[in-house]
Amino acid sequence: MNCLQFENTLSDYLEGARSSEQQAHLSSCSTCSSLLADLNLISAEALSLRELDGPAPRVWNALETQLRREGLIRKPSRPLLPEFLVRWKTGWLVPVAAALLIAVGIKLYQPPKIGDNQPIAKNNVVRRVPVAPAVSVDDKDIMTTVAARPPAQVAAYRNDLDQANAFIRDAQEALKNDPNDIYSQQLLINAYEQKQMLYRLAVDQSDEQ
Amino acid sequence: MTDAKRPRGNKLSEPEAIERAKQGDAEAFEFLYNLHKRRVYSLCLRMTGNTASAEDLTQEAFLQLFRKISTFRGESAFSTWLHRMAVNVVLMQLRKKNLPVVPIDETTEGEEEGTIRKELGAPDERLAGSIDRLQLQRAVDELPPGYRTIFVLHDVEGYEHNEIATMVGCSIGNSKSQLHKARIKLRDLLRVNRAEKAGKR
Repeated sequence: MNCLQFENTLSDYLEGARSSEQQAHLSSCSTCSSLLADLNLISAEALSLRELDGPAPRVWNALETQLRREGLIRKPSRPLLPEFLVRWKTGWLVPVAAALLIAVGIKLYQPPKIGDNQPIAKNNVVRRVPVAPAVSVDDKDIMTTVAARPPAQVAAYRNDLDQANAFIRDAQEALKNDPNDIYSQQLLINAYEQKQMLYRLAVDQSDEQ
Repeated sequence: MTDAKRPRGNKLSEPEAIERAKQGDAEAFEFLYNLHKRRVYSLCLRMTGNTASAEDLTQEAFLQLFRKISTFRGESAFSTWLHRMAVNVVLMQLRKKNLPVVPIDETTEGEEEGTIRKELGAPDERLAGSIDRLQLQRAVDELPPGYRTIFVLHDVEGYEHNEIATMVGCSIGNSKSQLHKARIKLRDLLRVNRAEKAGKR
């Protein structure tokens, strides 16, 4: 076998179909053995190109926007609860939420005194139910409850409350524009859950002290 | 399970993420994207040689994946399913742009054979043992589109010739011969680049 014949059958050789003539030629021809070594090297190094690069962050941003537009994303990605709160079981949230709402209602509702001729500000009462104020009366109460704790903890409570309130306002703003926006509805629910959990933590830990 | 299959904090595994993505969970989508983005983007980039196209195609491949994720039943590996989808997206794009998926130009073939014979007479300049990854990447980018497709699918992505023949729409023999020519062309490009580099010193 000469070099040209070897060259013509090299593809088969690389695929594993090897003949004794090819082997004999390779052992006697440095040119062809160099060619074979180079092609093997190229093939082996090619694997290193498999994960050489990553796309720019804008690819995910565009993709996420499109997924939301098409309704494929139906649950929020951002965990609204702090990591330590996520670990809590949430099954107790329903009765706690109900109890909290009742407590808030009782607190805000001022029954008319007998003989009081002043008009009852029912409408005001309704308006005063804290949907999403920047700092509600209950926020102040809760901050008073935790005020005696270490400053870092108080700051963390303040920060978490602010964050929850911000999420509530954002979600409500979005729902004003599109009341059927499932994503914003979910955000709102999560934000209220976050706030309820903060209240609960503050009260529980105060009871323990 | 490998570390790559688990995100930060061990919160999610790939199978869990797939199930959650089927329910429309954004975090799961992002997790799956992050797990496979480099491989898919690299595939797109190697096959097109263009970063803007590669980004568009990566986005398109993942979009198609997430649109169809509810139909994924786990008959094959998720990565296999995704990569096949990405390859199809790229091939479709190449066809749309009328770029050759497989080179069939007789003149080009003649040139390649000439190149091999010419190189056979230059035994000193062997590559063996020393190919820089970046050099190889550049050389692959310089390959004619058809050669590049076959080389990337076979040598980089690990597809067999029968799979490539089905995906690309050519015969198995054609896939084999194009791969061989692509490797020869790469060797030529690498040697030219090396000679140019040496000349500058």
